[in-house]
Amino acid sequence: MSAFTVEELFQIMRECAGEEEAVDLADAAEQEFALLGYDSLALMEAISRVERGLGIALPEETVGEVLTPAAFVDVVNAELARSAPVVEAAG
Amino acid sequence: MTGAAQALPVALLLPGQGSQHRRMAAGLYGHEPVFTEAMDEFFDAAGPEGGPLRDDWLAERPATDIDHVTRSQPLLFAVDHALGRLVLGWGVRPAALLGHSIGELAAATLAGVFAPRDAAGLVLDRIRRLSAAPPGGMLAVAASTAEVAPYLRGDVVVGAVNAPRQTVLAGPDGPLDEVDRALREAGFVCRRVPSLSAFHSPVLEPACRGAAAVFAAARKNPPAVPVHSAYTAAPLTESDIGDPAFWARQPVAPVLFWPALEGLLATGDHLLVEVGPGQGLSQLVRRHPAVRRGSSAVVSLLPARPGPPEADRAAVAAAAERITAAGWPAAPASGDRGRPSRRAAAG
Repeated sequence: MSAFTVEELFQIMRECAGEEEAVDLADAAEQEFALLGYDSLALMEAISRVERGLGIALPEETVGEVLTPAAFVDVVNAELARSAPVVEAAG
Repeated sequence: MTGAAQALPVALLLPGQGSQHRRMAAGLYGHEPVFTEAMDEFFDAAGPEGGPLRDDWLAERPATDIDHVTRSQPLLFAVDHALGRLVLGWGVRPAALLGHSIGELAAATLAGVFAPRDAAGLVLDRIRRLSAAPPGGMLAVAASTAEVAPYLRGDVVVGAVNAPRQTVLAGPDGPLDEVDRALREAGFVCRRVPSLSAFHSPVLEPACRGAAAVFAAARKNPPAVPVHSAYTAAPLTESDIGDPAFWARQPVAPVLFWPALEGLLATGDHLLVEVGPGQGLSQLVRRHPAVRRGSSAVVSLLPARPGPPEADRAAVAAAAERITAAGWPAAPASGDRGRPSRRAAAG
């Protein structure tokens, strides 16, 4: 099972913001969402899209506590890892 | 001179309804002389209403809710305008101004269209009218105007176009709640904007009817700096400025912030300096390709979130440093802030 990547998150964030151009941002993964132009509304939509896309539920405090893309990706991967054994057992 | 010649032209961004919070910029009051003087001038011009306004601005527990139109609108106007004066006092000469909602009136005042004392009177006239309007609210939706269009009805309209996928709806509470529910059921992410009035919707139309006569009587001058209007998505023209209905209808008409920003950045790259509470406009403009690429840049004068008074002062000091680093030699170093540096501006 492949892990969720920062690149995938940025693709989703750009879709949420309606950005047509993909610009490579230096050290963007470690910058705060606010400094990347993503407010809590954009972050809430990104969470919703990731949850639907991966079939997982992220902790409710994700919006307030996860400040950077790198931290967001860690939360998603932790959730994927937690739910993975269940999938394997079912298969 | 070489630094100044290469410096990006500065555009001031002045935020509006939704960015207000308790004690916004209060940490600068009594510390930054130019800011303090501009605030005091506003409270003085407000007459008997000035004292209660000032008290509620500085209070931890304001007597009237800061989100109420009688507090949010005059205090946003005063804080935006006073912060703009602070930056001008550093010797920064902006090439353009762009205000959101009530921020446009502050921008026009900074540009000299209205005298500050006259503008205070116009703002107070506006809030007296608006406080009589029916209650309503505003809803930010992570969606484009095209995506929300099928959900609009009655008095629920697009109140602001903030970014390609950030649209703010406005309308009376009941119908707005129903639209909110329908949008959420369809999978859209929505969030209420702090406002107890349906700004930029027809709900406020009857209340604004008499305002044109007041604007007609106010003395108006051509702007010293281009003011990019978020109502026309173009610089203010002589005919806009001379039309009382243009000003009177601003609380009813939609705010086209993103189209106005695109117009501004189409004229060239800028150092975008947000002069107002929070960093809402800074966050939005970071989505613009010119800022993403790094050819334009963003500086916020105040912290992103409400905090202690020291945080306001630290944010202003950091902003002054960034403006200096961007090639504006007239922005004084911290410690010298607030003192007009005529010599630097002349050189």
